[in-house]
Amino acid sequence: MSGSAQPVGRSPWEARAGFAVMVVLALIMVLPLLWTLGLSLKANNELLRDTGSVFHGPYTLENYGSILRRAAVFRWLGNSLLVSLCTTLGVLTLSSLAGYGFARLEFPGRRWLFALVLFGLAVPEQSVIITRHQMFSALHLHNTYPGLFLPGLSAPFGVFLMTQYFKAIPVELDEAALLDGASRLRVFWSVLLPLTLPAQATLGIFTFLSSWNDYWWPLISATRSEMFTLTVGVASSQINFAQTSGLGFLMAQAVFASAPILAVYVVFQKYIVRAVSGAAVR
Amino acid sequence: MARVRLDRLSKRFGAVPVLDDISLDIAAGEFVAFLGPSGCGKSTLLRMIAGLESVDAGQIHIGDRRVDQLPPGGRGVAMVFQHYALYPHMTIFENMAFGLRNAKVAKAEIEARVAEAARILEIERFLPSKPGQLSGGQRQRVAIGRAIVKKPDLFLFDEPLSNLDAALRLRTRLELAQLRRRLDATMILVTHDQVEAMTLADRIVVMSDRRIQQIGTPMEIYARPANRFVATFVGSPPMAFLDVTLNVGADGLARAALADGAGVQTAMPLADLPSSPTWRLGVRPEAAKVVAPGTGLVDAKIAFVERLGDRTLVHLRLADGGALTAEDAGTSRAAMDDIVGLAIDGPVHLFDAEDNAHHPRAPT
Ligand SMILES: Nc1ncnc2c1ncn2[C@@H]1O[C@H](COP(=O)(O)OP(=O)(O)O)[C@@H](O)[C@H]1O
Ligand SMILES: [Mg+2]
Repeated sequence: MSGSAQPVGRSPWEARAGFAVMVVLALIMVLPLLWTLGLSLKANNELLRDTGSVFHGPYTLENYGSILRRAAVFRWLGNSLLVSLCTTLGVLTLSSLAGYGFARLEFPGRRWLFALVLFGLAVPEQSVIITRHQMFSALHLHNTYPGLFLPGLSAPFGVFLMTQYFKAIPVELDEAALLDGASRLRVFWSVLLPLTLPAQATLGIFTFLSSWNDYWWPLISATRSEMFTLTVGVASSQINFAQTSGLGFLMAQAVFASAPILAVYVVFQKYIVRAVSGAAVR
Repeated sequence: MARVRLDRLSKRFGAVPVLDDISLDIAAGEFVAFLGPSGCGKSTLLRMIAGLESVDAGQIHIGDRRVDQLPPGGRGVAMVFQHYALYPHMTIFENMAFGLRNAKVAKAEIEARVAEAARILEIERFLPSKPGQLSGGQRQRVAIGRAIVKKPDLFLFDEPLSNLDAALRLRTRLELAQLRRRLDATMILVTHDQVEAMTLADRIVVMSDRRIQQIGTPMEIYARPANRFVATFVGSPPMAFLDVTLNVGADGLARAALADGAGVQTAMPLADLPSSPTWRLGVRPEAAKVVAPGTGLVDAKIAFVERLGDRTLVHLRLADGGALTAEDAGTSRAAMDDIVGLAIDGPVHLFDAEDNAHHPRAPT
């Protein structure tokens, strides 16, 4: 695909119309976010009278101030970070190792095992959650950090992605490295793994985001407030404080909870675009 | 520099046999080419020597060591791959240093060796670049450099020139020949290109049909091909074959007679030939000449003319259906459908019904 401003066979008119459609769609997508941001910057009692006041001042950071004054929020933020990072690191490690194995090693039952992984792609979380809940309570893993991140480590998509990626790397590179006296581990670490960085970035970002946004499992597993992740914590305070704290405060919480995700999007924009356009899988 | 011995090697992929009973002795410092049509198992044999394919039966010795059970890195060989196989994420310097680092060579020594190789190959200014920034020819040099710095006992090249364009291939071939003099190492080159094999190698191993067909110096292979396969595969345009019967000629030498009785004197004593139900006479283009009709061995019709500038290839069809190519001067006036005379002036070759060649005993 070329990045030329004027694709062949399209009049400038059509290109302009297409651009206009994109702008409208983008606005539709971004409006709720702007609405949320706007409400979060208003005093609660003012919003109680008229949410239309969001279109004019005065604006205030008071809602963010009341979030930061609640110690639990920082605990939840920390929990979310810890759980998301552990999940991401774990998924990257396991998927890379499994992908290398499926792509490069001959072992009995390889095809069956890979078919099983693909099958795992089709299993919805809802169908296993009760069994998982029972298993985790039998193992006394509820209300622990491993309890929160372990389920996320079963990532069939990650294994599939890395397998395809390793397969796309010419075996001649492994062979050249073996002839250069490298051990298998060194071939994996120094030659192949660096070449999978684009896939690692894609997989890492998506794992991090979905782990950060996960609500259902932490809601089930973490029943004590100090083990809440940010999503669960924010939701719990909405239930408790919705009447008293007001709309602006709720919106500020939503903004606060999604700020890290926004940061991830901004920093890794390049990889995300590449991932959703399919370029990373080749 | 090391002697290389292959001892009765066999290899199959699943149920498909690829190599059968291959034995070969390569002297230290010798440059040997494996020549054969694509798919005949040349690369597989090379990869078995490198340790990239397992050995089903037989032994491989490099120097005094039996290596067929050693890992690739422990055999003291370096290989240049057809598609170069440079590490895309490493700089050219790192590409060349990687093997030395694995061998725990001292840092200063690594830098000295890479610098030396880069100087020889004229790739010094690319050392900080990545392979993706280099052209095919430059990558080829880096791949050779990566092999050189390791100072291996044995160099292996798998079709190293086949991805280069014609002009670059010619230049790289010359450079490879010069490099060879400088390195003074044992080398094996795999190629399907007879010109590469002829120009570079001390000895050529012609392979086909899972086996070695002939081992010899380029001129031996050309002048005394062991069988019809070798005779056809080496030489361009290929040798032509005419059905003949043998009778006794001057000095007891065999005389090969065409269907209409016209005969060609061979250098082969008739008494030395085995009995065979049929015989074929092999004639290379440079041994066949176009003369005025009626003055040659037989008359023939010109089927096609190829003008190469310095010479002209005249494709002839004989009355009995036989076909052969004759070489004529660049200024030849031969034209399609002309009737001309065919003269044989040069060495000819005899092949029996099993396609084995019979040559006069070599002068000692
Ligand atoms: N890894 C493999 N698995 C199965 N068959 C193979 C493999 N590698 C090569 N072959 C087969 O072995 C034969 C010889 O291959 P190769 O050594 O690459 O030939 P060449 O280098 O002479 O062109 C071919 O028929 C090829 O299809
Ligand atoms: Mg080959």
